[in-house]
Amino acid sequence: MTERSPAAPLPDLQDQGYAMPEQERFNPFRWALREPMGALGVVLIVLVVFGSFGAPILKTTNPRSLAAYSGDNLAGPSSEHFFGTDRDGKDVWSSVLYGGRISLKIGIATVIVGTIGGTMLALIAGFLGGVVDFVFSRIADILIAFPAILFALTLRTALGEDLPDLPGLPRAEFVVVLAISLIFLPAAFRIMRGTVLEQRAAQYVESATVVGASQLRIMLRHILPNITGLMIVLTSISLPAAILTESTLAFLLGAGDTPSWGAELSGDSRTFFVRAPWIAIFPGAALAVTVFAFNIFGDSLRDTLDPRLRGRI
Amino acid sequence: MWNYIIRRLIAIPLMLLVLSLVLFLLIWTLPGDAAFTAALSIADTVNLEKLQERFGLDRPWYVQYGDWLGGIFVGDFGDSLTPPHDSVMGSVKERLPKTLEVGLLTIILSAVISVPVGVISAVRRNKPEDYLLRAGTILGISVPNFWTGTLIIIYAFVWFNWNPIQDWVEFTEDPLKNLAIVIFPAAILAYSGAAYTARIMRSAMLEVLYSDHVRTARAKGLRERVVIFRHVFRSALIPVLTVVGLQLGTILGGAIVAEQIFAIPGMGLFALERIVARDYTAVLMITMIFAAMFMFVTLLVDILYTYVDPRIRY
Repeated sequence: MTERSPAAPLPDLQDQGYAMPEQERFNPFRWALREPMGALGVVLIVLVVFGSFGAPILKTTNPRSLAAYSGDNLAGPSSEHFFGTDRDGKDVWSSVLYGGRISLKIGIATVIVGTIGGTMLALIAGFLGGVVDFVFSRIADILIAFPAILFALTLRTALGEDLPDLPGLPRAEFVVVLAISLIFLPAAFRIMRGTVLEQRAAQYVESATVVGASQLRIMLRHILPNITGLMIVLTSISLPAAILTESTLAFLLGAGDTPSWGAELSGDSRTFFVRAPWIAIFPGAALAVTVFAFNIFGDSLRDTLDPRLRGRI
Repeated sequence: MWNYIIRRLIAIPLMLLVLSLVLFLLIWTLPGDAAFTAALSIADTVNLEKLQERFGLDRPWYVQYGDWLGGIFVGDFGDSLTPPHDSVMGSVKERLPKTLEVGLLTIILSAVISVPVGVISAVRRNKPEDYLLRAGTILGISVPNFWTGTLIIIYAFVWFNWNPIQDWVEFTEDPLKNLAIVIFPAAILAYSGAAYTARIMRSAMLEVLYSDHVRTARAKGLRERVVIFRHVFRSALIPVLTVVGLQLGTILGGAIVAEQIFAIPGMGLFALERIVARDYTAVLMITMIFAAMFMFVTLLVDILYTYVDPRIRY
C-alpha cells in the first residue's frame, strides 16, 4: 500500500483579499417582506391552529357535552353566541372551533400517509426500476383511474365498522384518513417517481456507486435529500386539498357526533338554513379561510424553495 | 400515430378488465360478512335465502365474476342488490345524460372563464388586474363548492324569494327551464375548475413569455397580439390541456356534490345513494363507467398534444 502524498495546502483565500460569502441565514422578516401572501398565510394558519386547539379557553362549550344544548334554538349572532346557535341550541362558534381540530388532524394525517408514503414508494420504484417499478406504476395507474370521491365514499361506508381504533385516531377518523390518502398516494407517487428517475441519472449517484455505497445508502443518504424539497412543497400543496376532501366527505355522509365543518352543512340542518343562515355561513367560512391560508402559504413555500416548480404542481 | 392510437385503444379494455377484477375482489374480501350478502340482508332479511339464490351469491367468487363479466358483453350489468332489484343499466341510461349535460356545461364555462383570466393575468403580470384575478383564482380553489352552492340556495331564497331547486325538466322539453336548473351546479363547479386552470395557464404563459423564441418573435417586429396568441398562448396550452383532461376525469366527483345540493337526479346522486345502500352491483358499474371515461379522455388529451405541439410524436 502506497503512502498517500500529502495534499498541497489550499491557499487561504481570505488572506488574499477574497471575501468568503457569509452563510445566508434564513430571516423570517425578510421572507415576509418578499412573500407578503405567504406571511399572511402563516398568520392565518397560526390563528386557525390557535383557535381549534385553544378552543376550551375561547368562550366555548364542548359541542359533545350536554351543556352544549343551551335551549336557545336558532338564535342569531350575539355577544353571548358569536356565531349564533343551531337548531339544537348548540353554539355555532364552539362547533366551528372544535370542528377545526378534526379537519387539521385528518388533513395532516392524510398528507403524511399520502405524500410521504408516495415518496418512499417512488424512491423504491424509481431507484430499483425493472419489475418493481412496472408493478408499482401499474397499480398507481389503476388507482388514479378510480373516481376519487366515489372511491373514498365506498371505502368509508364499506370499512366503517371493521377497522381497529388506533391510539389517538378512532376508527371513524382512521377510515377517512385511509380513504383520502389512497387518493393522494398515486398522484404523489407519479410526481416523485419522475424526479427520482431524474436524480438517479445524475453524476453524484454514479460517483457514490463507484466508491461502493450500498443501494440503500444511495437511496436514503444521496437521493432522498435531493428530493426532499419537492416533497415538502408537494405536502404543503396537498394539505389544503386533503382538508377540502375531508369536509366534502363529511358533507356527503355526515360525521356522526364528531363536530366537523363539512358535516355542519349537511343533512337535516339544511332545512333551517334559510331561517338561520349563520349555521351554514360560519363553518363554511372557517373551512374556506383555512384552505385559503394553506394554499397561499404553500404557493410561497414553492416559490421560495423551487421556483421552477411553478405550473407543475 | 395510428399505430399508437390502436395500441392505446387495445390497452383500455385490458386495464378495465384488471380494474374490474380488483374491484370485485375488493368488494368480495371486504371484512366481515361477504359484502353482497350484507347488502342483501340490510335490504330484506325475510327473503335472504331466496335472494342469495337469485343473485347466485352462494357460488365461489370467480364464478360470480365470470357471470358478471359475461353479462357485460350483452349489455347486462346485473340487477340492483337493494329493492326493487331493478336493472342497473336502466337507471344509468336515465341518469347519465343529466350528469353529462352538467359536466359539459361546466367544461364550457370553465374554459370560457379560465383562458382569458390566465392570459390577462400573465400578460399584465404584477399589475392591479393581475393581483385582482389572482385573488379571485386562489379563492376559487379554496372555497368549498358545497358551501358556495348552499349560499346560492339560501340567498336566492332570502333575497329573491326564489328556489333554485326545481323538478328536473329535459332539455328537449323546455330548453330554458332546463338551463335554469343546470346552470347553478355547472357554475359552482366551473368556478373551482376555472380557478385551477387559470393558475396553470398563468404560470405556463409566464414561463414561455420570457423564452428565446418569443424574444425573436418580438425582434422581428410582430405585433404584440400576434406574439401573445401565436407564440406564447400555443406553447402554454400543453400543461393546460393536461389539467383540463384531469378535470374531465373528476366530473363525477363534482357531480356527487353538485347534484346532492341542487337535487339533480343524475349519476352523482345515484352513486351516493347506492354507496350508502351498499348496492355493490351499482357501485361496480358506476366506477367502471367513469374509469372508462377517464381513460378515453386521457387518450384524447394525448392525441390533442400532437396538434398543439407538432414536436410531440408517438
